[in-house]
Amino acid sequence: MDGVETRPVRLVVSDDLQRGRGSVFFRLWFAIPFILWLTLWGIAAFFVAIANWFATLFKGTSPRALHGFLARFVRFAVHTYAFLYLAAEPLPGFGGRPGYPIDIEIDPPVRQNRWKVGFRFVLVVPALILLGAFFGTGGGFSGTSEGETGRLGLLVAAAFLAWFFALARARMPRGLRDLIAYGLSYAAQAWAYMTLLTDRYPCSDPLTAIGPLPVREDPIRLESSDDLRRNRLTVFFRLLLAIPHLIWLVLWGIAAFFAAVGNWFAILFTGIAPAGLHRFLAAYTRYQQHVFAYLYVIANPFPGFTGERGSYPIEIRIAERAPQNRWTVGFRLVLALPALLLGTAYGSLLFAVALLGWFASLFTGTMPLGLRNAGALALRYSAQLYGYLFLLTDAYPYSGPNVAPPPLTADPSIAFPPRSA
Amino acid sequence: MRRLASRLARPSTLTLLAGAALWLWAAYALWHSTASVPQGPDLSPDRFFSSAFLDRSASYERFLTIDGLLAIVVLIGVLAVYARRGDRLMGESAAGRVGTGMLLGMLGFGVVWLAELPFGLAAVWWQRDHGVSHQGYLEWAVESFLGLGGTFLFVAAALAIAMGLAGPLRRWWWLAAVPAFVGLALLFAFLSPYLVPNTSDLHNPQLAEAQALERVEGVKGTRFAVEDVDRFTTAPNAEATGLGPTRTVILWNTLLSNDFSRAEVRAVLGHEIAHIAHDDPLKQVGWLALFLIPAAGLVELFTRRRGGMARPEAVPVALLVLVAFQLLATPMFNLVTRRAEASADWSSLEATHEPAVARAMFRRLSTTSHGSPDPPGWTALLYGSHPTIMQRIEMTYAWERSHRP
Repeated sequence: MDGVETRPVRLVVSDDLQRGRGSVFFRLWFAIPFILWLTLWGIAAFFVAIANWFATLFKGTSPRALHGFLARFVRFAVHTYAFLYLAAEPLPGFGGRPGYPIDIEIDPPVRQNRWKVGFRFVLVVPALILLGAFFGTGGGFSGTSEGETGRLGLLVAAAFLAWFFALARARMPRGLRDLIAYGLSYAAQAWAYMTLLTDRYPCSDPLTAIGPLPVREDPIRLESSDDLRRNRLTVFFRLLLAIPHLIWLVLWGIAAFFAAVGNWFAILFTGIAPAGLHRFLAAYTRYQQHVFAYLYVIANPFPGFTGERGSYPIEIRIAERAPQNRWTVGFRLVLALPALLLGTAYGSLLFAVALLGWFASLFTGTMPLGLRNAGALALRYSAQLYGYLFLLTDAYPYSGPNVAPPPLTADPSIAFPPRSA
Repeated sequence: MRRLASRLARPSTLTLLAGAALWLWAAYALWHSTASVPQGPDLSPDRFFSSAFLDRSASYERFLTIDGLLAIVVLIGVLAVYARRGDRLMGESAAGRVGTGMLLGMLGFGVVWLAELPFGLAAVWWQRDHGVSHQGYLEWAVESFLGLGGTFLFVAAALAIAMGLAGPLRRWWWLAAVPAFVGLALLFAFLSPYLVPNTSDLHNPQLAEAQALERVEGVKGTRFAVEDVDRFTTAPNAEATGLGPTRTVILWNTLLSNDFSRAEVRAVLGHEIAHIAHDDPLKQVGWLALFLIPAAGLVELFTRRRGGMARPEAVPVALLVLVAFQLLATPMFNLVTRRAEASADWSSLEATHEPAVARAMFRRLSTTSHGSPDPPGWTALLYGSHPTIMQRIEMTYAWERSHRP
């Protein structure tokens, strides 16, 4: 596995989640000088990166001076975005020096493969597409074609929601902070790759992006026994093969909608979901995620049509019904709005994962682990969101990456992730 | 002799014979529900087309015919290999018996699509070369790929029905499946006008003429529409589709813009309205039902070695049997459609009383689509869903002769 400690560009998080309300309220204004400085520095970095390209192409390694300049620039970019997106509290320095609560470590220059250096501007395109899913419109100093389509960036959505939460509670939610840190970790790797600080391709694995993750026993969680192998033929026709499932999903969705309305009334009166409705909606939620996993190349086999428990390598575990707070049930739709916003942004990530995963799987017969886990994170959030909307639980969707506790039964097939790639 | 007699006396043989007799009677009745048309005099194409055009159109059709035949050979070859090895793909499914069968069915057609892609592209190249198609290669490939989605959906639905019934009914699934497929075909025929993209209503003066022809041919409530196809092709065409309240005549806009005269368009309208008047869309479903019975029976027979249609591993074999049956039945089906088309031509003449206009229209149909007016008999047999242009021209003379005072 490509652990965070082995990467040449590593994110180091020492943030304590505490936030000052004033600092949060005026965050955008406070960030303006840093953004201006980042822009100016970015212009210089552009030319330095070109010089670095020529130098690395001829020498095989990046000159120390250029490497140092660009490393500082990438570090400063990470600090600035961490501050802007509320992943860190203090004002960053203008010099890109280490020590910020959301920081990166970059290894000294090493010998790079000249072919990879020569074609770096082509090789970086997939990373830019994924970066576009994180930053959305106008995000990052890379400027991505994805941004031009006006997609809602995951980091922008997370920061937007975090602003309200931090303002109210003077504290950053761990999930949102980790999500932003995850995005910045990927961005730092992508920028470093782009500016030839390293020839290691950016890894999008959320499980290894930011160090230790919280262990959570959420009532809805995702477990994977996917082995990353993909059949090229089914990958090629994946979109078309999913059509019967998509139609069935819509038809079942109509019934699920009315069942959810019935569930809402039932819980409002009795405080707990009727067993039949809970089972029906849980099966639908599971089926929905099976179909998404198949469509977005996050899993390999053609899923069944019933959402049967334990039938698919990307498995959604849904806890048995439990009493729910009637107030949160009554206002569920309103309460779900922030999660819906983040769910939409996660959709951008899912789309980028599917696009890149489709090409990768078609050419190599294997889904990259990082992409698979990024997609699985988005699917897990989607499952929790629908579970919350369908009143399967009153636990709010957890926005960041996390790890599930080991299953009580020692079933080796339900390990996450199963093997390295 | 005694053994033969005892075999014939078995209830299953008797049932089979009775079924065959019933089938033949139904086919006979359906065949005769469409009026036959008198044959015209045997005329030379040189009278109506220049020798340069005849050479060009013969060469144009020859390429497409060879391309089509090669595609058929590849189709059968690919499906034969798939029938032997397709069951290896069962490991790519977590969907249970029916779902896995659906996957194998869809993948079978996916493999066929991939194998036939070069032939399709060759046909596009040829059509572009002759100015019949404007479509780019990538555009065609993408559209064809997306169109495959419809095939996948159809195959998945058909297999869900067949395999779903094969579970409880075992060897007799096809007896229940055929009515289900016919029901689906009726539904599809009913909805088909809504599935045609890029259509708009036909306007005056053609609309008024269409409605007048409707009255003459004894039809009411037909919708008349125009389909925009000039982005892809210059070839003219029209179709009658839908059942009951959805009955629609659709003209390609190439017909309205391709310097066809109003009288010629009127002849086309008369032909399509005749299809509606003759209930041809419904009769087509009837023929489909008749062809489905032996097809489903053969599928049942050939899939027994793989455990019958209830088993997903039987699906690749079923695909091969079905496609082979369809190819073998095509000449017979073409015979049926040619009869219906000839009858519609005749009814159109009865409604318009303009044989000279019809001749001009047929001539223009040939020149604008580069179709050979008098193709070799075997290509007409294999591919000819309509009478040849020369047969249609000859028929106009037959009509004139029959209406001479």
